[in-house]
Amino acid sequence: MKNVNANGKESAAALKKLLPAQDILQFTFSDAAGREYICFFADAITDKDLLGEQVFRPLMGYAGEPETKEVAAHVTAPEVRTERALEKLAAEVLAGNPVLLWEGMDDGLIVGTKKVPMRAVMEPPTDVAIKGPREGFVEDVKVNTALVRKRLKTGELKIEFLTVGRRSQTSVALCWLEGTSPNETVGSIRKKLNAIDIDALPDSSYLTRFLSDRPHALIKQVGTTEKPDIFCAKIAEGRVGVLADGSPIALTLPYMLVEDFQSGEDYFVPAPRATFTRFLRLFALLVAIYLPAFYIASQLFKLQLLPVKLLLTIAGSIQDIPLSPSLEMLLVLLVLEILNEASIRMPKYVGMALSVVGALVLGETAVSAGFVSTPAIIIVAFSGIGLYAVPNLIEETSVLRLAMLLVAGSVGTYGIILLSALVLVYLVSTENYGVPLVAPFAPFIRRDLKDALVKFNLVSLKERPASLNSPNRRRQK
Amino acid sequence: MKLSARQLCFFLAAVAPAGKLVLMPSQLAALTGNDLLFPVLLQILVQAGLVFCVLLLGRSGRTVYASLADMVGTFAAKALCILFAAFLLFAAFVPLVEQKLLVQSLFYDTLPSYVAFAPFFLFSAYLCTRPLAAMGRVWDILAPVFLVGMLGILLLSVWSADYGALAPVGAAGASGFGRSFAYTQGWFFDAALLLPLVGKFHYRKGLAWKGALCYLLGGMILLAFLATYYGVFADIAVTQLFAFAHMSKYFSGITAMGRIDYLFIFAVAFVMTFYVTMPVHGAVETISEAFGRTKPLSAILSVGFNGVLLALLLIFNFSPSETIAAITERAFWIFPSFAAGVPLLLLLIFAVRHVTERRRHAN
Repeated sequence: MKNVNANGKESAAALKKLLPAQDILQFTFSDAAGREYICFFADAITDKDLLGEQVFRPLMGYAGEPETKEVAAHVTAPEVRTERALEKLAAEVLAGNPVLLWEGMDDGLIVGTKKVPMRAVMEPPTDVAIKGPREGFVEDVKVNTALVRKRLKTGELKIEFLTVGRRSQTSVALCWLEGTSPNETVGSIRKKLNAIDIDALPDSSYLTRFLSDRPHALIKQVGTTEKPDIFCAKIAEGRVGVLADGSPIALTLPYMLVEDFQSGEDYFVPAPRATFTRFLRLFALLVAIYLPAFYIASQLFKLQLLPVKLLLTIAGSIQDIPLSPSLEMLLVLLVLEILNEASIRMPKYVGMALSVVGALVLGETAVSAGFVSTPAIIIVAFSGIGLYAVPNLIEETSVLRLAMLLVAGSVGTYGIILLSALVLVYLVSTENYGVPLVAPFAPFIRRDLKDALVKFNLVSLKERPASLNSPNRRRQK
Repeated sequence: MKLSARQLCFFLAAVAPAGKLVLMPSQLAALTGNDLLFPVLLQILVQAGLVFCVLLLGRSGRTVYASLADMVGTFAAKALCILFAAFLLFAAFVPLVEQKLLVQSLFYDTLPSYVAFAPFFLFSAYLCTRPLAAMGRVWDILAPVFLVGMLGILLLSVWSADYGALAPVGAAGASGFGRSFAYTQGWFFDAALLLPLVGKFHYRKGLAWKGALCYLLGGMILLAFLATYYGVFADIAVTQLFAFAHMSKYFSGITAMGRIDYLFIFAVAFVMTFYVTMPVHGAVETISEAFGRTKPLSAILSVGFNGVLLALLLIFNFSPSETIAAITERAFWIFPSFAAGVPLLLLLIFAVRHVTERRRHAN
C-alpha cells in the first residue's frame, strides 16, 4: 500500500508500519457524527496544546461530510496541507507535523503544529560585534530564513527548500536575489545540492565539500557566517546563500579570500578605521604564519636577520637548551595546539584551570627547567594570538604555519620563500564557480579594490564587486 | 584562458627587471666602470623595440606554432619549436646559476649543502604545469611586490650613494661599450620570453606600444638601480656581487633596528624566483603547443626539463663563474639570434604575406 484510502483504519495500520518507533504516538477520538479519527504525531516535537486547541476540539463538534476538504475547513490551525502518499505522510510526522486519518477521507491531513526545542536567537560566540547587529543564526532553518527575510523584504529574495540526506531528510534552504546573483551560479549550486547522496547531514559544514569545485582543495572554498546581517549583505552583493536545518552556520558562495579579512563591524565604523583594522588583520596573519619560521631560519642559517642586541639576548637564553631550535619551536607549537584544542572542548570551569596549567606550569616551569627558551614561548604566543585575528582561516593558517616551520628548519629562509611562492601559485590557480579565490588582487580588478583591504566610504561603493559577475552591477545611485 | 594586456604590462614593467640585478651589475662595472648605464640603456631600447614586434605578432590571435605550421608545414614548425625551446633552456642557465649563487650567499651565513637550491626545481616543475592564467595572476601580485621591494632598497641606499661617481662619461671608450653590450646579451632576452605567449593574450589596440613603454619603465627602474649601485660602491663596484642585497645595509637606521632592509630584499628575491622559472615555462609552453596540449605531456615536459637543468647545475656546481663567463662572453651571439632574430623574421614573413594577400585581393 503506497497511498491512503477511504478506509481509515487500514491506512492508519499501514502508516504505523512505516513509523514503528516508540516516540511516534497515536491518538484516537470521535467527532459529533461518531466518526473515528486517528492522529499520528511525534512526541516532544509537536505542540500538543495547539493540536488539542486547533484540531481536536473543533473536530469533536463536527458532524459534516467526511471529505478531506470539508474536514480541513473545520480545523483552525493556520498551516494545513493534504497528502496521499504514505511515505510523505510519515516524513511529515517525523518532522513534527501531526497527520490525521479517518474513515471516508480521500487524503491524509497534515497540520503544521511543529514545536522543535531550540535555543533563542542570540549573539554568536564566534562573531562578536561591538557595533552593529547582534543577532545570530540558530539551528532551525525556518527561524534562519525568517531572519533573512526580515532584512531583505523584497520579492526578489528567493528561498528554495531542498531535502538532503537519505535518512536525516535535512531541509536545506537556497537563498539568492533574483536578478542580482548570476543564474549559472544558482543553477550550479542547486545541481550540486540535488546530487548529494549521503545518509545524514548533521551540519552545514558537510555541504562545503560537496559545494566546492575542488573538494580536495587545501584551502576553504565556501564562505561561512553565523550572522544574518553579514549573510544578507553577501547575498545583496550577488552571492548565493545556503542554510541547513540543524546548523547555525550559513554558507555563502562563491567565496573569495578577502572576505575573511572583512568583518561586519567594518561597515559601521569610519572607513579609515576599517582600513587600518583590515591591514592589522593581514599583518597579524603574516606574523602568525611567518614569525616562528623566520625565528628558526635566522637562528639556524642567517643570524644577520636579527639585530645584534637581540641576537645576544637570544643567544644567552638558548645556550643551555637541550633541544635544537626547530625541535624546540615545534614542541612549543604542538603544546599550544593541544592546549587550544583542549580548552575549546573542555567544560568552561575546567578550561580556566587548564589556562592556568598551560600558562604557569607549562610556560614558566618549562623555561625555568631549561626545556625551552623564553623567546620561543614569546614567539609562539605572539603567533598564536595573531592567528585569531582572522578566525575563519585558523584551520588553514595553523597548518601553513607548521609547514613553514618545517621548511625553515630544514631548508632555511630560502625554503620559506619557495613555499610562499608555491602557496601563491596554488591560491591564484584556485577558482570557485568561476570566481578566482584571490580576486580582486589576482586577477587585479581595480574597481573591486574599494572594498578589499582598503575600505572606501560607503557612498563610493556604488557598484557590486565585478569579480562576482552579477547581472545587476549597480547597487546605489 | 588568455592573459590580459594588463598582466603582460605588469610582467614587462615589474617582473622582467628583477632578473638583471644579481651578477649583471658587477659584470657591467668590470667592463665599463662608471659608464655602465649606457650599454644597458641601449639594451633596454633594443628590447623595447623587440617587445613591440612580438606583441604586434599577437594581433592575429594565433600562436607562433600555428602561424609557422601554415607557412612551413607542421614537421618543420615542430622542429623550429624544439630549437626554440632548446634556446630557452640554454637561456635559463644564467639566471639559474645566478639564483643558486644568490641563495647560497644571501640566505645562509653558514655554507649550505650544494643541493640546498634543489627544492627550487620542485617549485619550478609545479609552476610549469599550471595554466597560463595562473602565471598572469602571479604577475598581478608580483608587480606591486617588486615595486615596493625595489623602492625600499633604493630609498635606503640613496643616502649612501655618491652619484658623482658616474662622471666623467665616456671613460670606457667604444670598445668597452661594445664589449659590455655584447656580454650582457645573456640578461636581455625578454622579447624571446614573450614569444611562447603570442596568441595567448588578449590583443587590444595599442598593446604593442603600451608593452614597449612598460618595458621602458621597467628599464628606467633598472637604470636607477644601477646608478645607485655605482653611486654606493664606486670603484669597488666590480667586487660587489649580489649588490641589491648589500647596498642598503649602510643606511644609518640599520644599526639600531637590525637588517630591516631584508624585508625589501626578500620581496625582490621572491619576484626573482618567478622570473627564473620563465624560460623553462616558455620551453614547456612551446613544446606543449607544438605537440598537442595535454596535461600528461605538460607534466612530463616540466619534470623532464627541470630535471635536466638540475642535473646540469649539479655538474657545473663547482665552476659557476666559468659557466656564466662561457655563456655570456663566448656564446653571447646565441641570445640575439633567437631573441631578436626570431621575432623580426616572423614579423617580416607576416608583413610579406599580408602585403601579398592585399595585392591578391586588390587584383
